[in-house]
Parts: sequence; C-alpha cells; structure tokens
Amino acid sequence: MLRSLHIDGATPLHRLSVRIKLAGLFLASLAIFLTGSPLLLGGAAVLSALVLASVGMSFSEAGSRLFWPFVSIAIVAVATGVFEAPLQGLVVLLRFATLILLAAAVTASTEVGDFMEEITVLMLPFERLGLVNAADIGLALGLVLRFVPEIATRYESLRDAHAARGLPVRPLKMLAPLIILTLKDADMIAMAIDARGLRRQ
Amino acid sequence: MEIRFADCSVRYGETVALQPLDLTLTERRIGVIGLNGSGKTSFARAINGLVKPSQGRVTVNGLDTVADGPAVLGTVGFIFQNPQNQLILPIVADDIALGLKSRGVGKAEVADRVAAILARFGIAHLARRRVHALSGGETQLVAMASVLVSAPDILILDEPTNQLDLKNRKRVIDTLEGLEEAAIVVSHDLSLIERFGRVLLFHEGRLIADGAPGDVVKAYEAVALC
Repeated sequence: MLRSLHIDGATPLHRLSVRIKLAGLFLASLAIFLTGSPLLLGGAAVLSALVLASVGMSFSEAGSRLFWPFVSIAIVAVATGVFEAPLQGLVVLLRFATLILLAAAVTASTEVGDFMEEITVLMLPFERLGLVNAADIGLALGLVLRFVPEIATRYESLRDAHAARGLPVRPLKMLAPLIILTLKDADMIAMAIDARGLRRQ
Repeated sequence: MEIRFADCSVRYGETVALQPLDLTLTERRIGVIGLNGSGKTSFARAINGLVKPSQGRVTVNGLDTVADGPAVLGTVGFIFQNPQNQLILPIVADDIALGLKSRGVGKAEVADRVAAILARFGIAHLARRRVHALSGGETQLVAMASVLVSAPDILILDEPTNQLDLKNRKRVIDTLEGLEEAAIVVSHDLSLIERFGRVLLFHEGRLIADGAPGDVVKAYEAVALC
C-alpha cells in the first residue's frame, strides 16, 4: 500500500497558503539560530510540537515518521555535548528538534501539487538568470515527497518476504535489495516522466 | 495513423533486444504478443522514442522518434506495466492536470479538460481521491486518463490487464474498446487481443508472425508450447 506524507484535514495550517508556510519555516529556522538560550529553544520546540499536533497527526504516526530524524539529531547532540559542552549539545538537540517538528507540520498540511507549484514560482527568478529550470526543481521536490514514503512500503514488503521464508529480519541485510528495488523503480518513474512529457524539453 | 520501422534494431550493450525490422502499422487496434524477453516491450518503447534505435529509424505519422522526440511524445501516449509508477501526484485530478500544466496550458482550460476526461472514463467520482487508495482497475483507468488528457493520437499499453481481477479486467477492456484513439497493446492476455485488427508475434527479438489474431495466436502457441 502506498502512503502519503500529507494528512487530510481543514486545520488552520491546512488552509494557510504554501508561500506563508514556507516563509514561516524559513524565518523560524533563522530565528532559532539567533539564540543560544536553552529556555527559549525549549519553548520553541514545545510550540513546534503543538503546531504539529494541530494538523491532526497522531502521536504514533509522528513517532514513526520522526523516529530516525530524531535518532540522527540525538547522535549529533550527544557528540556535541561530549566534545564541546553538555549545554551546547542540548542547544543543538532543541534547535534541530524545532526545525524537524515544524517541517513535518508543513509537509503534513500541504499537498504535493501545491508544493510543486510554489517551488516552481519561487525558482522562476533563478530561471530567468539562466541558473535553473524552475519546473524541473518543482517536479523533483514533488517526486521526493510522493515517492520517498514508498521506500518504507518496499522495506515492509521485504521484511514480510523474509519473515514468510522463516529468515531472520535484519534491517542491514535488507539494505542491498532495498536499494536495488528503489533504483529499479526510480528508473521506471524517470521513464514514465519522459513518456508523459512532464520535463521541459 | 502510420508507424513505420525502417531497418530498426535495438541493442542494450551486447544484447540484441530487437532484430532489424521493417514494418508499417496503420490499424486502429494492434496486439503485440510473445514470451517474456521476446522484444515486445523494446518494440513498443521504440514507437514513442523511450528506446532509441541502435540502427535504422522509427517514424510516427512522419515524425522521427529521435529527431522529433518531443513531438512524438505528444503523439504517442504510453501506459506502463505498473501504472502506479506513472502517477506522480497523490490526488487523481492533480495528476491528470500535471501533463497539461507542464505544457503551459492555462488554468481554466486545464480544469475543463480534466473534467472532460474524467467524465469520458466514467471516473469523475475519483477526482479528489488519492492514487494510493485506488483499486487496480481504477489505477489503470486514471493512468489512461492522465495520458489521454494530452490528446495523443496513439496509445500504447504495456500489459494493461496484468494482475487485475475479472471485474477490473472487464472494465479496462470495455474502456479500451471504446477508445477513439489508435491503441497498441502489449499483452499476455490472448483473449484481450482476439478482436484486434492485427497482431504481431515476437520471439527472441524477431517478428515471426504478423496477421489476424487467430493465426498469430496459433503460431504463438506453437512457439510457446513446443
């Protein structure tokens, strides 16, 4: 079964325009790097968690989506705490936690098509300078949001196949087939994009 | 419609997927059959330029698939074996609109054409549904709509009834029969192609039979079951 990062709903965040959400995310990410106060950052992290909860995402869904990002930032935070100062590690943890929670809220409350349109518009000035192809960047972002969740689905299929054959389920053992399957699918998706003429020639 | 293969062959490295082929196709319904790895998918993909000929050329209504690539893509639509992979956006109507938007069609016209194609396929009720929540048959119909909304003259379908239950298979076949566009169907489903105007049989990269469905299916059985 395919999944989606978007969560259906009509919450205030769902109704907010993509441009305002992206601008808000950008400004928030700037703001949290302007302060080193654990108290302020802690407040920001709690606020971000509330924003995420407001889009209607259940605690278990949020946990499943954000588990690995949080593991990653925990590793960075612990390393910072050990090699610099414990307080600095806490600051890193709170900063990135805030960012991840806010980004998850924006992703969950925005349709992929809306993201693509907005990113394409935002990239148009760079296209006029001859630096990028705006539509291709919008399409690339759309593809990431649409197909990345399917990697999890594919992993589950592999895990079930291992279990059905009575083989021990070891995530590392499934990495190679997962990468191969993902690349094969990516090839087919690229071909489908060409066949539908979605990329500007 | 006129598709012409002129001494066209397709190679992948040392492997010859399609032996040199001279062929002209003008029929409205064409079936392509053969064992797995017989070259039928390479043949189909060569028609809309997804696969470039290693030698010779392929033309569609006079357009060369290499020199006139974008124009050929606009003339020949392609539905893949797994249509889920060609639905890019998660909402049905948004995905159908995507091809038109990328061609610079205005918003009002996009909305009209999307509504028209959904109505034509009898799937207007699916407009706001998520593509991952569709049944196999619905996915196939949405994939067809997403391609046909751009008004190609020819539609190529790779195994359109693969993995469909009887109900969805019938739905897809009924839709296929009602298509105004020319259709080339690659399939293992022999009953699907029995009413087609012409059937091609590929074996080991060669076109070994070409004609009416009954004769070609007999030739296929002889090859496959020997």
